[in-house]
Amino acid sequence: MSYQLYRNTTLGNTLQESLDELIQYGQITPQLAIKVLLQFDKSINMALATRVKSRLTFKAGKLNTYRFCDNVWTFMLNDVEFREAQEMAKVDKVKIVACDGKSEFAV
Amino acid sequence: MDQMLPSPGFSIPSIGTPLHQPEEDQQILPHAQQQQQQQQQQLPPPPTSLQQMPVLSTPQKTMHTYAPSGFTPQSLMQPQTPQNLMSPMVTPSSQMATLSNMGPATPSPMTPMTPSSADPGIIPQLQNIVSTVNLGCKLDLKKIALHARNAEYNPKRFAAVIMRIREPRTTALIFSSGKMVCTGAKSEEDSRLAARKYARIIQKLGFPAKFLDFKIQNMVGSCDVKFPIRLEGLVLTHGQFSSYEPELFPGLIYRMVKPRIVLLIFVSGKVVLTGAKVRQEIYEAFDNIYPILKSFKKQ
Repeated sequence: MSYQLYRNTTLGNTLQESLDELIQYGQITPQLAIKVLLQFDKSINMALATRVKSRLTFKAGKLNTYRFCDNVWTFMLNDVEFREAQEMAKVDKVKIVACDGKSEFAV
Repeated sequence: MDQMLPSPGFSIPSIGTPLHQPEEDQQILPHAQQQQQQQQQQLPPPPTSLQQMPVLSTPQKTMHTYAPSGFTPQSLMQPQTPQNLMSPMVTPSSQMATLSNMGPATPSPMTPMTPSSADPGIIPQLQNIVSTVNLGCKLDLKKIALHARNAEYNPKRFAAVIMRIREPRTTALIFSSGKMVCTGAKSEEDSRLAARKYARIIQKLGFPAKFLDFKIQNMVGSCDVKFPIRLEGLVLTHGQFSSYEPELFPGLIYRMVKPRIVLLIFVSGKVVLTGAKVRQEIYEAFDNIYPILKSFKKQ
């Protein structure tokens, strides 16, 4: 059972919307939609762990708040600079939600 | 009020301070206390016409009173005996109000303060204060960790929420029983203020938090005597108080009996004092150790 962390991403949200549409048109059952989402969780976790090679670093001006509960870290950063090789992106506010990479849990 | 012991930093050499052995120092303190009490009883009578402190004007009084207050020693620097009264810098009325008339020692061998080995005004700085308070109600730690900012809760590792605030910069351990430990403050007032802020946060989350039995449990201070110290010599002569194991820890651990303070003494001359419940104990412990350290100065 993998983290359902990635359901709230652009990819995960569009998947959920599509599934909801299909359910509305009666073309799939909700049961099937749940199975699809669970498979999505597994696939995205595996893909990110194995098929993604890019390295991204970031540095923030300020750590506004932090939280650690249920083994999940949530950070709110201000004035952040993301760097990857030669590319750079600056953002005012960033929210980071991080789950434990070592142990696997369904959320 | 039985902690009325000298605080460092106000002996004035011009008085002609006598040489003084550290052991005498400790014996005389009760004597000083007696005199202090005498002085206090004689305080209510109005000051003399002189612009001196009322205490100083009476001839039979000896000048070794020490401020019972636990405030910083600088506040105690005041003119001394009538003979060499330098300037009436302090208004008598305010001094009477505070009751603590500081007079550095007269040139009599009975003075507990101002031996020639008195510290030249070094005052230990407080580095950390640990305090506890009871919020008086059971707490739901998960709810606190989820809704409060800057909180950590890992029940597998530790059964409390670890919360931090930036002003005063402190860390609190909050337990489900409603008890809380506040660490990291640099002064007693800061510790109390920080604890109140944490209690306010808990209150805002919907718990009926109170502020019961606030107590400072430990105070840590540090200072620098500015000369290197022969720790080996110190452990030889003060064997029953010291423990020095350089292979384990580079500092000498000195367990002072009165006041009950533990000092970590390092070769560099830096000293850490811990175990105090009140600020005055730190100052007192340093006053006691300074002449000893001076005698073990590395030449």
